[in-house]
Amino acid sequence: MWPKVAGLVLALTVVVATIWLGVTGQLVLYIHPRYVVFTMIMAGLALVVGIASFAVKPGHSDDAPSTRAGRVLSVSALALTAVIAAALVIVPPATLTSATVDTREINSTGVGVEVQSVEAATSTSNEAFARFTVRDWASLLAQTSDVAFYSGKPVDVAGFVTADATDPTNVFYVSRFIVTCCAVDAQPVGVPVYSPNWADDLDTDDWVRVTGSFVANPSSASEQPIALDPAAIELIGTPDEPYLY
Amino acid sequence: MRVDTLVENDHQEVHPHRSLRARLTWLAIGVGGIVALFAVRAVTADTIDAGLPNQLQDLLTLATSVIIESMPFVILGIVLSIAVQEGVPDHWIMRILPRNPFARRAVISFLGFFLPVCECGNVPLARGLMVKGFTVSESMTFLLAAPIINPITIATTHAAFGWDGWVLVGRLVGGFVIANLIGWLFSRHNDQDSLLTRRFAAECRLPQHHEHGGARIHKSLELFIRETSVIMPALFIGSVVAGAIQVLVPRSVLVSLGSNPLWSILAMLVLAFVISVCSNVDAFFILPFASTFMPGSIVTFLVFGPIIDIKMLALLRTTFTTRVLVQLTLVVGLLAALIGLVVNYVA
Repeated sequence: MWPKVAGLVLALTVVVATIWLGVTGQLVLYIHPRYVVFTMIMAGLALVVGIASFAVKPGHSDDAPSTRAGRVLSVSALALTAVIAAALVIVPPATLTSATVDTREINSTGVGVEVQSVEAATSTSNEAFARFTVRDWASLLAQTSDVAFYSGKPVDVAGFVTADATDPTNVFYVSRFIVTCCAVDAQPVGVPVYSPNWADDLDTDDWVRVTGSFVANPSSASEQPIALDPAAIELIGTPDEPYLY
Repeated sequence: MRVDTLVENDHQEVHPHRSLRARLTWLAIGVGGIVALFAVRAVTADTIDAGLPNQLQDLLTLATSVIIESMPFVILGIVLSIAVQEGVPDHWIMRILPRNPFARRAVISFLGFFLPVCECGNVPLARGLMVKGFTVSESMTFLLAAPIINPITIATTHAAFGWDGWVLVGRLVGGFVIANLIGWLFSRHNDQDSLLTRRFAAECRLPQHHEHGGARIHKSLELFIRETSVIMPALFIGSVVAGAIQVLVPRSVLVSLGSNPLWSILAMLVLAFVISVCSNVDAFFILPFASTFMPGSIVTFLVFGPIIDIKMLALLRTTFTTRVLVQLTLVVGLLAALIGLVVNYVA
C-alpha cells in the first residue's frame, strides 16, 4: 500500500525543511538554539545519504493489509502523512499563538520564577530595569504585589497580546513563550497591562512594545493585583527570536 | 503475503543492481526533486498566507517541533543500526556477551554507553541488533535501558537536576531495574517470534549476506531506504497525535494534580505519554515543573517517558505486536509509578 520510497521522501522532506529553516535562521522557532548545530549536521548527513539512496533499487515491499479495515487505516495514515509533509514545505514557519497560551495557562507552572529575586532587585539600576523582559517582571510579580516596590521603576517590554481571562475587556498580557527544549514544551509567561477597551486598537497575537510603570490594577474584575499602566503601546513585527530561553 | 516478500527478495538476489544508466537517471530525479522542494519552500515562505486558525496552526507547529527535534536522533539511530548490521561480524556481539541470560541482559543494559542514541533512534538500532541475533527479550532490555543509561542522558539530567532529591539516581536505577524485569518477563514467553510483527519476523529470518566494497555500500543504502520507510511514517503519525492532544487538553488539568503524592505520579505518567520528547532532552523539559511536582513524580516522568509515549508506541508498532505493546505499557507504567512512590517516600 505504501510506496517503497515513501519513507525516503518523507525523510528528505523533513531534511529540506530543516536545512531551509537553519539557513534562514528560523530553526529556533521549533527547537532550542543549543540543538541547532547538531540538528543541521545530522540533516546534512541525511541529505547526502538520502540522495545516494536514489541510485539504489528499493529492495523491500510492504505487506498490503489483508483486511478492509486495515486497508482503510493504511490509506488514511498515508493521506495524513502526505498532508503533514506538504505542510512542512508549504505553510510558512510560525510561532506558537495565543491558542497555546489558553491551553497552557499563562504564568502557571512557575517557569522562570527564580530568574529575579525581590532582594536583588532593590539594588538594580533603572537602566537594568528597562532591559527586563516579561519573564523578569513576571518573576517579580509572582513574588510580591507591593505597589511601593514597583514605583519609579521603568518598564519597557515586548511580547504578543493575549487577553486576560478574568477581565478580557480592560486587561491584556504582553506575553512570551519560554522554551527549554523545543516548541513542544513552550510555557507562556506575561505581564498584565491595564488598557480599557484595548481590543479597539489591538488584536490578540499582535506583537507590541509597551513602556510604562506598574500600578495597583484599576480593574476590579481582574485577579491580578498589579498591572502595567502603559505610557505607550507600539505595534512591532514578530522578532527574529520570538521565544525566550 | 510473507511468501510474496520472500519470493521478491529471492528475485532481487539474482538482479540486485540497477544498471548504471538507470542509477544516474534516478540520481538526477532525486537531486531534481530536492532542488524543487527547496524552491517550493523558499517561494511559499514569503508568498503564502496560510491563514490557518490558531489551533490548527499551533497543532502544526507542535507536530513540526516534535519531528524536527526527533529527526537528528532518528538519523543517528538508523546510521548506527546500519553500521551494526553491515560493519559488525556475525555473532561477534553474541560471543562477547555473558552466556547466563541474567548477566547477559544486565550487560546489554549498558550498551547505551557505546551507542548513545535516544529512544527514537533506538528502535532502528534494536531492529538491527535483532537481525544480528539478539533475542526479542534482549532487544527489549536494550530498548528500555539504553535511552536512560547513556552518557548524553546522564549529562543532561545531571545538568538539569544535579544530585538533588534522588532524581538522577532514581532515574538510572529505575531504568535499569525496569529494563531487566521486562527482559526477564518476555524471555519466559515460549514463542519469541510471535511477539514481533509478521513483517519484521520475516526480515529477521532472511539469511545475512556479507558483501564487500561497492556491494556493501549498496546494501547499506538499501537498509537506509528500508528503515526510513518503516520509521518515518510512524514518526509523522506519532508527532501529529502528540501535537493534537496538546492543543486539545489544557495543561492546567495536569498541573493542578501536582502536589498530591499519588495523583502527581499519575499526572506525570500522562504528561510523559503525551509530550513525547526524547530522553536526551526531557530533563530540561521537566525541570520547570520541579517546583510544582514532588521529586518521585519527576523520576516517574523521566523513567516512563523514554520508554513509553505516543510517538514511541507508533515507532515500536513497526516491530512488536499490539498485544505486546499493551502489556509493555501496563507493566512499565506500574513499575515507573512504584519507583516514583518509593522516591517520594524516601526523599
